[in-house]
Amino acid sequence: MVDFLNKLPDAECLGFCHRVVDGLCGRELPCRSDYSDTWALHEWLELLNSLTHLFQLAVGNNISDKEVMARLSSIRSGHAEAVLSVLRARQTEIRHALLDRTNSISSATLQDFEWQLKLALASDKISSLHTPLLSLSLDVREKGALRPTTIEMSREELNTLISSLEAANKVVLQLK
Amino acid sequence: MEEVDKILIHALKQVGTEVSEDIDSVKQFTSELIVEAVVRCIRVIEPGLGSSLPTSLPPGMSARFRVGMSLAQACQDIGYKGEIGYQTFLYSNEPEIRSLLMFLVERLPRASAEASDQPTGKSAVLQRHIAAAIKTQLAVPWLPPNCRLPLHCEMQSVGSLHSFHTQHLSLPHCSKGKKQLKEVRDYQRDILPPVTSQLSHQASVVASILEQHTAELSAAQEWEHEWNSQGLLSRLTPQEYRSKKLTRLRKRIEEQLRSAAQTSPESAFGVPTSTSDLSELLQTFRGSAPSDHILTKGTHFTHTQKFTFTQETAAAPSAIPIGRQSEGDVQLQQQEELASLQQQIQQLCTNIDQIAADMKHMTVTNAQVLDELKQQELGNSENTEKLQVKKKTIDLLPDADNNLLKLQAVVEASAKRVVNLASQWEKHRAPLIEEHRRLKEICSSQDLESSRKLSEIKSLHEKIHMSTEEAKKKEEIYKQLVTELENLPHDASRSAYTQRILEIVGNIKKQKEEITKVLSDTKEVQKEINNLTGKLDRTFAVTDELVFKDAKKDESVRKSYKYLAALHENCNQLIQTIEDTGTILREIRDLEEQIETENSNKTVANLERILDDYKAIRQENSALAAKIREG
Repeated sequence: MVDFLNKLPDAECLGFCHRVVDGLCGRELPCRSDYSDTWALHEWLELLNSLTHLFQLAVGNNISDKEVMARLSSIRSGHAEAVLSVLRARQTEIRHALLDRTNSISSATLQDFEWQLKLALASDKISSLHTPLLSLSLDVREKGALRPTTIEMSREELNTLISSLEAANKVVLQLK
Repeated sequence: MEEVDKILIHALKQVGTEVSEDIDSVKQFTSELIVEAVVRCIRVIEPGLGSSLPTSLPPGMSARFRVGMSLAQACQDIGYKGEIGYQTFLYSNEPEIRSLLMFLVERLPRASAEASDQPTGKSAVLQRHIAAAIKTQLAVPWLPPNCRLPLHCEMQSVGSLHSFHTQHLSLPHCSKGKKQLKEVRDYQRDILPPVTSQLSHQASVVASILEQHTAELSAAQEWEHEWNSQGLLSRLTPQEYRSKKLTRLRKRIEEQLRSAAQTSPESAFGVPTSTSDLSELLQTFRGSAPSDHILTKGTHFTHTQKFTFTQETAAAPSAIPIGRQSEGDVQLQQQEELASLQQQIQQLCTNIDQIAADMKHMTVTNAQVLDELKQQELGNSENTEKLQVKKKTIDLLPDADNNLLKLQAVVEASAKRVVNLASQWEKHRAPLIEEHRRLKEICSSQDLESSRKLSEIKSLHEKIHMSTEEAKKKEEIYKQLVTELENLPHDASRSAYTQRILEIVGNIKKQKEEITKVLSDTKEVQKEINNLTGKLDRTFAVTDELVFKDAKKDESVRKSYKYLAALHENCNQLIQTIEDTGTILREIRDLEEQIETENSNKTVANLERILDDYKAIRQENSALAAKIREG
């Protein structure tokens, strides 16, 4: 329920709403311990949920300001104004975040990747190997949970991976 | 020679020879230093050949001899044409050593030539720097953690390694022309924290910024490329092109999704099975809002589900009040009830299914019936029209002739009117067609013009691109060269050398002039000598003749003739002697010079050293022989 916002003093409302939007856009959410005096846990969670939902709905469906105000009718006018200004200021950012989410509708999506180059000097059988190895770690988001995957490849394997990725890119370009 | 020696010593120092500061000419080189310098040069020129050679002379005499022999062989292998042997190294001789070192230094690979061969450009420079850094790091030996110095800690400790994780950043973009909203400006001014404090981990700041920049850069490049290759040809403004592409993509995605939905109706998302409306499907994906909120339109599946579940929950409370009988009875009763309820549920389910099937059937039949109805109505209206026509003809039948005439008149009038209208139509049509043709021609010519201009624009774009790239490349090369120039060693300054060379050339010119002067002097002197000898010969001949004539008559004159002949002969002898002295003096000078050169070759000292070394070898040999005998 958005009504819980009324408990917050006017001065803090703007910053709080911006931090909620930060969380929506992939950064840190506001810290609960900062506001533990103001709201109980269930209030806190419900407030966050409803605010996020409101922002998403307003940007995703292009709701006009009047309708937003109608939805915010239960809270003080100063607070409603603050929420509306936050919405206007961050519209493009929220839109981008929503587009990102829509882009990753498949069951598993690549969140981030990292690579390291290693030089294997020897193995248990061969005393002098000097083979470069690439360890590629992929952060895959699968049904909301982050699953790290690490692959170690030799030069030839890396070449096959790159060529197959290039082929995939070509297909994507054709789709455009 | 000093300059040459300085250059040689500088080159040898660069190769890695340790030449001490107080040695500034080849004359001061010891045998050890010569061997080291030569071996280092050979190692650089031909690593395969030089790796087997030691850089210092061994203590044993015979071993030294062998080293000298192998060094001489190596020099000859490289291509040294001059005289060379073990004596060159062991019993050094300044000019020989100088010529050998000059040959070797000339054969050294030029660092500058190498640098100019390498690819230029910013990325190449960066890669070279990376390669150099990695090389130095590889050269550092691995140390266990306790032995590490601060220098090693930087590279080898695990703590300094960060994984390259990125987070989304929010950056204010200033776009020209577009006016920003006041709220946006306020937000960016008052609330948006700086980039460094937007992230939860300080370590990922660099990664995030790099990632953001690459993403934006690649997007901009892609757009530019696409616009130059396809967008310009489509003759649209960028906004129009974008919107067109958007609609095209939407259509494509729609098609794809529809086909996907048809092939797998039971998809994992719980997507409504009979999705005919795409917006409904998309609504389920939008945001992470609970789908129940948006799915206002229930489907067949959800309805059945809801219905069955509510049935169950409604049936459950009815079982509660019948408790407090014997447990067996209760259980039995409950089981019975459960069975009956389940039966009921099944029945209901089958009923519902049946009803649903019926409903489907009914809707289908309904549509069919509606279609039939429409067709019937169409037939009806046609029939009523026909009926009216027939009614009129029946009304006209009684007064047939009159009506026929009237009809004919009407027909004629209408035919005339048609002709009239046709001529009028023709009148109007001709100019219109002409106008149309003209416009068409104009259009095609404009088309041609525009395509020509488009191609011009394209070529201009390409030219701009090429020239900017060229400019960039040249600028990079310039920068690189400047840095290289700054990095070059300043001890061997080029201008000083050229100045010296010019001075030397001037000196040589002066000397040449003097030589020519001396030559002309000698020529003149020679001429004078020739003149004088000729004069003398002639005078002598004349005198001889006169005196000889008189000598026949007078006895005293005969005596004087004899004296004259003796005088002439004596003078000739004198001249001969003087010439001989000159040649001998020259020979003496030559010999003196030879002696000097021989002296400078340290022949005596070298001979003494050779004798010493010979003794040493003999001693070694005898020692070895003694050892063999003992053994």
